[in-house]
Amino acid sequence: MTAALAQLVLGAVTAALSLQLPLGALRLPGSGFFPLALGVLLMLLSAGQLARLVLARRAAPAAPAQAPAPDGAARRVLLFMAVVAVTTTLLQAIGYAASGFLLMLGLLGVLGVRWGVAALIAALSAAGAHVLFVLWLKIPMPAGPLGF
Amino acid sequence: MLESLELLLGGFATALTLQNLAYCLAGAIVGTLVGILPGLGPIAGIALLIPATFGLNATSALIMLAGIYYGAMYGGSTTSILINVPGETASVITCIDGYQMAQQGRAGPALAIAALGSFIAGTIAIFGLVLIAPPLADAALAFGPPELAALMVFAFVVLSNVTGGSLVKALMMVVVGLILGTIGFDPVTGDARFTFGTAYLLGGIEFVAVAIGVFGLGEILVNAAKPPAQLETRVKVPRFRELYPSLQDLKRATGAILRGTGIGFFTGLIPGPAPVIATYASYTVEKKVSRHPEEFGHGAIEGVAGPEAANNAATQSAFIPLFVIGIPFGPVPAILLGALLIHGVTPGPLLIAEKPELFWAVVASMYIGNFILLLLNLPFVPLFANMLRVPKKVLLPLVMLFCVTGMFSVNNSVLDIWMMLGFGLLGYLLRGWAYEGAPLLLGLVLGPKLEVAFRQSVMISHGDFGIFVNRPVSATLLLASVAALLFPLVKLMRRKKPDAAGQPVQRG
Repeated sequence: MTAALAQLVLGAVTAALSLQLPLGALRLPGSGFFPLALGVLLMLLSAGQLARLVLARRAAPAAPAQAPAPDGAARRVLLFMAVVAVTTTLLQAIGYAASGFLLMLGLLGVLGVRWGVAALIAALSAAGAHVLFVLWLKIPMPAGPLGF
Repeated sequence: MLESLELLLGGFATALTLQNLAYCLAGAIVGTLVGILPGLGPIAGIALLIPATFGLNATSALIMLAGIYYGAMYGGSTTSILINVPGETASVITCIDGYQMAQQGRAGPALAIAALGSFIAGTIAIFGLVLIAPPLADAALAFGPPELAALMVFAFVVLSNVTGGSLVKALMMVVVGLILGTIGFDPVTGDARFTFGTAYLLGGIEFVAVAIGVFGLGEILVNAAKPPAQLETRVKVPRFRELYPSLQDLKRATGAILRGTGIGFFTGLIPGPAPVIATYASYTVEKKVSRHPEEFGHGAIEGVAGPEAANNAATQSAFIPLFVIGIPFGPVPAILLGALLIHGVTPGPLLIAEKPELFWAVVASMYIGNFILLLLNLPFVPLFANMLRVPKKVLLPLVMLFCVTGMFSVNNSVLDIWMMLGFGLLGYLLRGWAYEGAPLLLGLVLGPKLEVAFRQSVMISHGDFGIFVNRPVSATLLLASVAALLFPLVKLMRRKKPDAAGQPVQRG
């Protein structure tokens, strides 16, 4: 239900924004013509899907739509994403090696690896990634205050 | 025919240079690893490695990326057989009998037959590609904008029909992908669309961010959501001397491999996730023609040989529509199209005529790559399988580190990483809501092409939409699309049609 609603909104927003672009004529469509058609099509499909879900829910109100997520799944995913988000924010300030270390350390911790082991694996992975990507493949990853 | 063989020999001369051989080998090894490691399928794997090809010329880059693609298809069977976890979706069917064989202590012959079947099928399918690609390219030259638009619509509808889930949901994903494809410069007038005043979005949504996000990060998050205890994997790796199949195994597998090759080759020529459909079709056929159908599901070697052959034949023949018409029919060829465009190569009917050295070198590299993969997957399979001993709780952060690095290196932009994270979260949610990511990716990649073809068509016809139905090829393709749209509806109505007592009639 949430997915269909979100796509209904996306279709409506696309159609509304397309109307602010030149629509042109049928023989010479403008920039807004194609996205407007797509927005309307997405709204129609989403409305159809919503109607189907409402009818199905009325027919069998107790039936769950999907298998339930494991306990604590949302918390683990949010923690995982938070670690990646924080280290991405820090990437240009502290450099690739340090943010790689923090990324590995944080993610290993979130996944239940003991901190001592996690620190060792994180240090080895960050050093390995620096050697592979920066020194060998010459990818210009951001350098930190210490030059790596 | 003779001309094709001559050009193919020229292709071998290019592909056999030390540099291209090294890239072919690197692609095959990395692809095998991508196929073996759960959580990193061929789509995210190829997308992740596109930046690594930036320094290469287009031929070497495509040789390496193609190597990763079919390497992943070979490698995917290893995890299916050893731990009942498919490395990529096309290996799902191999789990059924492959894992049963492993449980009976016959993992070695299952792995060997999978590798042999893949090699034979891949080699025959490449020969088919050599035979039919050049004449098909000549025929495709007659395709104008209406035919191309109709072909893309047909591809979307068929892909949506065969992704396995709901048709409406898949079509919604196609449209979301097409909408994302409209962000940035208008391909016809150059106007900026939906950029909200930011220069970052002018070039459009970075398809690599979508591919790595939805397919790579999405899968990582699905695994990260599991309790840590569920991330442990136990694997028994067979030793080299245990790999040999018996004469009886070979006898039983030969027919299955040849049938799987035929099924796979032709499935690769139609829109959809060809390797996945091909494996299911092959398994069904093998079960039907077998003298011992009761053995299927309990370790029948035909259940490994047929689908693995079909998988690899479809993988090779899926290159035909990409090279010849310039339209990818599935998500992996769509990623390869994006990579080709980055390298300044526009695939289509003129590719073979204008860049014969690239086309024939890639085809020749496929032969070489298949041979390399046979070598990698027979004696070295125990070595690769040892990768499975790395606990997932270590593997997932490592893959995440690679994703962040790979994503940054595309444009040296942190914004791309944020974009990837956003699409990763979307990929995770889509899995929970039972929406497929492949139609979204295909919509994103083909969106600008569809818009240009559509607008050119109506400009040619001065606004007359009849141009799509007055031309025989586009009319046929649109008619086939309508039929494909109506087919599930008719099936549903037949199933729900009540009998005299008012009970729904169950059919088939």
